[in-house]
Amino acid sequence: MDAAAVLGQLVVGLSRAMILFIVSAGLTLILGVLRVPNVFHGSLYMLGAFVAWTVAEAVGSHPAGLWLALAAAPLVTAAVGLVLERLLLSRLYHREHLMLILFTFGVMLVLNDVVKLLWGPTYRSLVPPPSLQGAVTVLGVALPKFNLVLLVAGPLVGLSLWLFTHRTRAGRIARAAATDRDMVAVLGVDVSRVFGMAFGLGCFLAGLGGALVAPTTSITLGMDHSLLIDSFLIVIVGGLGNLWGALAGSLLFGITQSVGLLVWPQFAVAFPYAVTAAVLLVRPTGLLRSAW
Amino acid sequence: MVGRRWSVLLLVGALAAASVMGAAAAPAFRFDRNIKVGVVDTYSGPPAVFGNDALNGFRLALQEINRDGVHGARIEFVTRDEKFSPEIGLSMARELVLQERVDVLVGTINSATALAISAFAREQRVPFIVWISKSEAITGAKGHRYVFSTGENTAMAGKALAEAMARRGYTRFWLAAEDYEYGHAITNSFWRFMKRARPESTLVGQTWWRTGEPDLVPYLTQILQARPQAVFFGTGGAGMANVMRTMQVIGFAQRIPSAIHTAIDVTVLRPLGAAAPEGVFGTTDYLYYYPETPANRKFVQDFQAAYGSPPGFPAFHGYITGYFIAEAYRKARSLDRDRFVEALEGLRVRTPMGEVEMRGCDHQAVLPIIFGVTRRDPRFPHLVAGDPTILPGRDVMPTCEDIRRARERAQ
Amino acid sequence: MSGRVLLGLALAALAAAPAVLPPFFVYLLALVLVTGLLATSLNLVLGYGGLYQFHHGVFYGIGAYTAAVGITRLGWPAWLAFLAGPLAAGLAGLVIGFFCVRLSRLYFGMLQLSLGSFVWIVALRWYPVTGGDNGIHGIPLPPVLQTLPGAYALVAGAVVASLAALRAVVRSPFGLTLQAIRDNPQRSEVMGVDVRAHQLAAIVLAAFFAGVAGVLYVALERSVFPSMLFWVLSLEILVMCLLGGWFTFSGPLVGAAVVVGLRTLAGRYTEYWTLMLGVLLILLIFFLPEGIMGHLQRRWNAYRALSARPATAGDVRG
Repeated sequence: MDAAAVLGQLVVGLSRAMILFIVSAGLTLILGVLRVPNVFHGSLYMLGAFVAWTVAEAVGSHPAGLWLALAAAPLVTAAVGLVLERLLLSRLYHREHLMLILFTFGVMLVLNDVVKLLWGPTYRSLVPPPSLQGAVTVLGVALPKFNLVLLVAGPLVGLSLWLFTHRTRAGRIARAAATDRDMVAVLGVDVSRVFGMAFGLGCFLAGLGGALVAPTTSITLGMDHSLLIDSFLIVIVGGLGNLWGALAGSLLFGITQSVGLLVWPQFAVAFPYAVTAAVLLVRPTGLLRSAW
Repeated sequence: MVGRRWSVLLLVGALAAASVMGAAAAPAFRFDRNIKVGVVDTYSGPPAVFGNDALNGFRLALQEINRDGVHGARIEFVTRDEKFSPEIGLSMARELVLQERVDVLVGTINSATALAISAFAREQRVPFIVWISKSEAITGAKGHRYVFSTGENTAMAGKALAEAMARRGYTRFWLAAEDYEYGHAITNSFWRFMKRARPESTLVGQTWWRTGEPDLVPYLTQILQARPQAVFFGTGGAGMANVMRTMQVIGFAQRIPSAIHTAIDVTVLRPLGAAAPEGVFGTTDYLYYYPETPANRKFVQDFQAAYGSPPGFPAFHGYITGYFIAEAYRKARSLDRDRFVEALEGLRVRTPMGEVEMRGCDHQAVLPIIFGVTRRDPRFPHLVAGDPTILPGRDVMPTCEDIRRARERAQ
Repeated sequence: MSGRVLLGLALAALAAAPAVLPPFFVYLLALVLVTGLLATSLNLVLGYGGLYQFHHGVFYGIGAYTAAVGITRLGWPAWLAFLAGPLAAGLAGLVIGFFCVRLSRLYFGMLQLSLGSFVWIVALRWYPVTGGDNGIHGIPLPPVLQTLPGAYALVAGAVVASLAALRAVVRSPFGLTLQAIRDNPQRSEVMGVDVRAHQLAAIVLAAFFAGVAGVLYVALERSVFPSMLFWVLSLEILVMCLLGGWFTFSGPLVGAAVVVGLRTLAGRYTEYWTLMLGVLLILLIFFLPEGIMGHLQRRWNAYRALSARPATAGDVRG
């Protein structure tokens, strides 16, 4: 195992971490502001992938097809999330916390079958435009060209989120609501609207993650399963509601697995889980400060 | 004295005439109800393409068979989706046998499910015909009186692939596979026969990932860095699409020769379309475009007319399963499950690939294996098997003695 | 009084089932009993303890896998394996619970989810021992258990005994203290109750009985699957508790019966069972959050209250 191999695997792991980050950022945002673990987050990710495929297919072989898909899918998932939140979830805010969680679980079950109803059981392939097909050799490693898009998209999303939560009024209110929603309400802000916005944004990110991953993998039923548990663990490890934590957790996950393959190929996929468990045993509230 | 001899002859002649007339006048044998087949397979997720293909082949066979019926009975079927989970598959099989009261169980693509259902079938004494799962344990170490296979198995494919790779002179291998029954079976088989063909072969390393693992890039890049001479992939229904696609994107097969069972099959290559990799060595037991015999051409025509696309190996297996069931019931002249099992042993049916025998000692259909390398061909909308060669079934199957020993060891 | 009669009838029905019902329904009944025990064990910490036990399935899986691995890989006799399962599960409950009780509600659930997932991934990857993705099947059992009536007898007997034990726990001073902690942890602490110790004990007990359910599953199915350790099953058990009524003792059992029954029935006619379950869950949350038994109990209590009043002219009875 030489330095080049490690660096190569590092780069590969980094691109996977970017998808995890985008999805986990959405999850942690919802968790931080609404204090709800959104169990159907993974289903929105899957929905985003399928919608991206449909849009790209509809547009055909025009190179703009993929970019259109990347724009359309998150908007669809954000809309779905917002509708669910406004119509149903918001009526549960005064209820037991457990009910909120179980509600999102119910929605997950429904959404998964809706995707099956709309797109059928067979898997789909989304081929990226010719300019992004094939691989480049980076640090001696064959990296799919599309993964470069991921390496750019991740930091872009991170930067946008940071700007939003620190430089815009709406974002700062959201951060305040995450820390102390009662105080924010006392100050005259419609907390419910803040919730809706945060939820919509979180769902947008889930769909974006799905759309971005679509050209790299089989788009299929069940793709939400492992991603959901991974993003939950990332959010827990990073600190509930903490965006930087989501980044740290995603990097941890992506890199321990890909570099772990060089060390112990058999068990590498368990490394992220082992590290997560270890971190949580020592610091149960996560690596970084959680929002509450 | 002479009178007595004549009268005896007359009596015998009369009796003979009477029995002949009696036989001609007796009603033809008929079953008193239809035959019910229970199908358990995966109809959701990536393996669904295989499940649907097999079902279509089966349906086509039944259409043809039910025109005349089997002793007046039609063959009907019900399906259950096991979602590639042995747990669900087992409970579906249980429901089909105990509730739906099917005569025969048929399925599935997941080798683990097949083994679980096989154990149940043995307990319930219900015949179970496996048509896609390939683990050699199904008719080998874990085989028994009530389980049959109409598909090729990992022993056959592993041997064919290993000998082909040995002929090409590769000796330093990396093994990469999915961590489940089929993955282990095909990989073990390949390596076993590789060592037999070339004892000096060495294992550079091995990787095992979760079935249906979505992101295989880190695994494949790590293998590239290890620089083996060749790679064998033990991937099946759930993981084929991802492996093939990832190989194509990073140009894996161009850098390192790779071998995968079913890589040249159309069920795998067609959905991938342009994302399928060229230059991958593979095996399968059926191709719709090779060999171009009249029987094969007719089958392909009928299939295409009914379902809009040509058949893959699952369809071929499904088709011959239908005929095996029909012919066995025809021979058995009874709906009793044990009579059916006895009739099925040693039965030969005519198929698009010639005559296929259901070997009696292990209940494994004797099928040929085709070896080729994936290649683009402008005449087809998918990649095809280039330079195909056929190995006859009896050259690649384990001997009855091997089977007997394997089953003994498993006890 | 009438409760005892009902109970007696139920027990008699259970005993008569193998003779009266067709085999498939006997199997289904056994499955309902096992799942019901699992759900009831969860409810000990969820409904009575007020803890967010998000990954209870881990203990079920550990119990089942311990028995399965013991028999197939370590050559243990069945009785030893069946004993070891719940003990292993209880031990896991002690370990996992120890780390979880130090945290408040949501963190408790999240940590449990992550620790449980780690167990799941270990079982999934440790192919030589756990069979990986396949699980283990065709587990050899003593001949009496290989028949359906024999397995059913074991399941029914063990479940009835376990439920009786759990009921005794719930009604004991320990159980009452647990509920007091659920309702007001600060006050309980002030009154000198060791909150954490009680909660940990409840988790260990719940884990033990989940392990019993796991071992019974092995007796019934002769197989174990990694999905037993996956978080989706844990959420399904939560749904059963909610459906049946998580503030009642029999609620989870009723919930289990409904879910298992619906799932089997639905599987014959539709592929969209998950859709039905999801819609059912959402409807429950909005319209019947106390669950079936909770609702029935409330109606029954209201009826009793009504009929306890002395009759006056113009009173409408019933």
